[in-house]
Amino acid sequence: MSEERTSPHSIRTASGDVIRVSGKRRVVAITGAASFLGLNLIGLLEDDPRVATIVCLDRSAPPTVGSKSRFYELDLVHPAAEERLAEVFGAEAVDTVVHLGLLESPSRETTHSHELEGVGTMQVLNACRRARTHKLIVRSFTWLYGASATNPAFLSEKHGLRARNTDPFFRDKLAVEEQLLRFRQPGQGRVVTVLRTAPIVGPSVDNFVSRYLRLARVPTVLGFDPLWQFLHEADAVAALKLAVDRDVPGVFNLASEGVLPLSMAVHLLRRHRLPLPRSLLRPTLGALWLSKVGDASPALLDYLQYACVADTSLAKSRLGFVPVFSSREALSDFASAEQLREVKLLSETPA
Amino acid sequence: MTRKDKKQEKQALRRSTTDRDEKKRKGKRKADGTADVRARSRSEAPKPRGSDGKSKKRQKRSALDAPAPVEVTAPVTPPSGSAIDAEILPHVGLDSSYELTADGDDFEALSADAPELGIGSRVVAPHVRFEDEQDDAFESFPATVTPSGDVEDQIRALEARLDGLIQHASRPDNVVPLAVPPAPTVEAELEREPPSAEAIAVESAAELAGSQYYVQKWGRKGLRSRAEEVDEFGLDRSFDAKLRPVLDFIYRRYFRIQTEGIENVPSEGRAVVVGNHSGSIPIDGLMLRTALRTDHPASRDLRWLAEDFLFYLPFAGVFMNRAGAVRACQENAERLLSRDNLIAVFPEGVQGIRKLFRDRYRLQRFGRGGYIRLCLRTRAPLIPCAIIGGEEASPLLYRFDALADLLRIPYLPVTPTFPALGALGLVPAPTKWRIKFGEPIQFDNYGPEAADDDLLVGRLSERVRTTIQSMLENGLQKRRSVWF
Repeated sequence: MSEERTSPHSIRTASGDVIRVSGKRRVVAITGAASFLGLNLIGLLEDDPRVATIVCLDRSAPPTVGSKSRFYELDLVHPAAEERLAEVFGAEAVDTVVHLGLLESPSRETTHSHELEGVGTMQVLNACRRARTHKLIVRSFTWLYGASATNPAFLSEKHGLRARNTDPFFRDKLAVEEQLLRFRQPGQGRVVTVLRTAPIVGPSVDNFVSRYLRLARVPTVLGFDPLWQFLHEADAVAALKLAVDRDVPGVFNLASEGVLPLSMAVHLLRRHRLPLPRSLLRPTLGALWLSKVGDASPALLDYLQYACVADTSLAKSRLGFVPVFSSREALSDFASAEQLREVKLLSETPA
Repeated sequence: MTRKDKKQEKQALRRSTTDRDEKKRKGKRKADGTADVRARSRSEAPKPRGSDGKSKKRQKRSALDAPAPVEVTAPVTPPSGSAIDAEILPHVGLDSSYELTADGDDFEALSADAPELGIGSRVVAPHVRFEDEQDDAFESFPATVTPSGDVEDQIRALEARLDGLIQHASRPDNVVPLAVPPAPTVEAELEREPPSAEAIAVESAAELAGSQYYVQKWGRKGLRSRAEEVDEFGLDRSFDAKLRPVLDFIYRRYFRIQTEGIENVPSEGRAVVVGNHSGSIPIDGLMLRTALRTDHPASRDLRWLAEDFLFYLPFAGVFMNRAGAVRACQENAERLLSRDNLIAVFPEGVQGIRKLFRDRYRLQRFGRGGYIRLCLRTRAPLIPCAIIGGEEASPLLYRFDALADLLRIPYLPVTPTFPALGALGLVPAPTKWRIKFGEPIQFDNYGPEAADDDLLVGRLSERVRTTIQSMLENGLQKRRSVWF
């Protein structure tokens, strides 16, 4: 096994050149391995001969664990997580950490989510510092740019993160970005790739955006029809894989080609809109949130009113990421799976 | 030996898609008139992803047939992985719009390895376990003999025969005739001339019969073209087409708009139209767009930049956005101009539309000259434009500033009809409009760095402002009445 790991590994390109990938095959650690992106990334890495070992860290074992994967039970919120993470990173000689132990959707348990986002990320970053792991990949959201009428049609990576700080979900995410900013400061020789994804949709993914679009009557804000962009789940996993394979530091917006008005997105899913005035929606959502019935906070209303569309040209030129699905295709893929679920032909519950 | 088998199996899985791809490419080549078969070499410089994958496979194939010991260097994905590739590959390979911007070896390598890198790989649904037999697939390669190699050869032989027959039957003149290969070897298949148009037609007909093919190719293509219903700035083409008769009626019958000097707007390429903002209900952008669509010889598609407040308004914001308005900011304007669009700017901004009736046709300050910087940076010509008649259409008698602040709108108009007649009062009066386009102003003698020279920008902005002001005064003197 050990000589396998250090054996020269090469790849033949289309032009016939044989390039050596590297003397050493990668050891990738994934926190939040049982999350949707985590378990699919494990599946991809299992198939890749350039990856020697996959270190899976989560509270429960992901179902995609294969021969190359090693699972360690770990709760990021646990006070000793940092110690254990550093230990594991050192023992397995991890060279790449993919931090996916972050919330996918807003949670009503704000204390736990704050702990997980803020403290969990801190523990991961500190473990990386201690184990001298230099490559880190973190997933973030384009929605952190904030939806506003004054947004340009395309928000580049240089645009400030202006999501509402009053919302616990966005506040925690912004705090994570802040921690990352400190961690990836130049001059420390670290390769930190932050992937800000548009809302991920697809046949099997489940998050607050897909849950929203799946509602029988989709509430929208009366008189507004913002432009949305999406990212297909396969493209999202592919982008993570690309970030593992290539050492490209920086922040990248990931989204599929094209934009869709929200009304058309709802229409594609064969749902009906329920347009309500903002003055009615806001207190209703607030009351539902406080009474722990609804799981959408009023801050998300902005995204039903104004556009938050990211410019993906940097990901294309520097990371080399070209999404296979367009926004519309991603959504229609989601819609077709949804239709099958309705007639009980697709029983697997979305993760 | 076992590795070879693996490869063959993988190839067999991919065969259907690869062949289809190949045929499509051959067809394309023929259409381009490149009948030289030998020129179809492996050293084409910037390769799209599809062709990369193909030539890679070609090499693998030739390596298979060569008696020399096969050195396996390419990563071999386990069987389930290759099945996934085969399933996903069609739209990776077929769609030429997904070419990578290959500006370095790195990217070329990347595009070649795209399937291995995971682009387009299938996502595993949660709680789905990978089959256990794939374990150790890479490490030890179990010696399994698969019959796929034989089947593959048979298919190849049949294909070669069919192609040969069709070529024999209808040999086009411009193609160098080649003998039908005696034995269907890989080299022969590679060197064989592209099939004739009829052959392609027959093949594509057979392929079209398969629903899978339809879904994979044309279904996607169809979706893709329909996805352009809303462009990236929010213009909805189908809505625009529906709106067109209404706009044409307003343009021709209601305002009876006359244009003057519309030939000053270039027929192609980027340009910035700078006009006076007219009337308290700003429909001048929409009318300018209609004017250039109906009266300009090249029927140009104009996008106008609208103030921020519009996008805060319910209904109006979405309506204007779908009809072609773009939020006024440098990023948007530069993006539009870099795609050689024609844009209209109203530098007066909100100051222009909230001016009182007594101030009509008196140009307000021209902002901070952002439009001049835009022209300097993008080297776009500037076309001054005077809209006469619009400022009387909904005359602003008074502004309720306090109430407007409360409602968070830039102004609350009081026109002779507005609060009195309710929403109906917002309908503009049927004044006679005249739109005059001036001589284009070029900023070619300034470099793009001049955009940072605030003094120069201010001077140029003032020059444009006086030009438009004199055009306005000129037009006002000439007109007989507000209504005719």
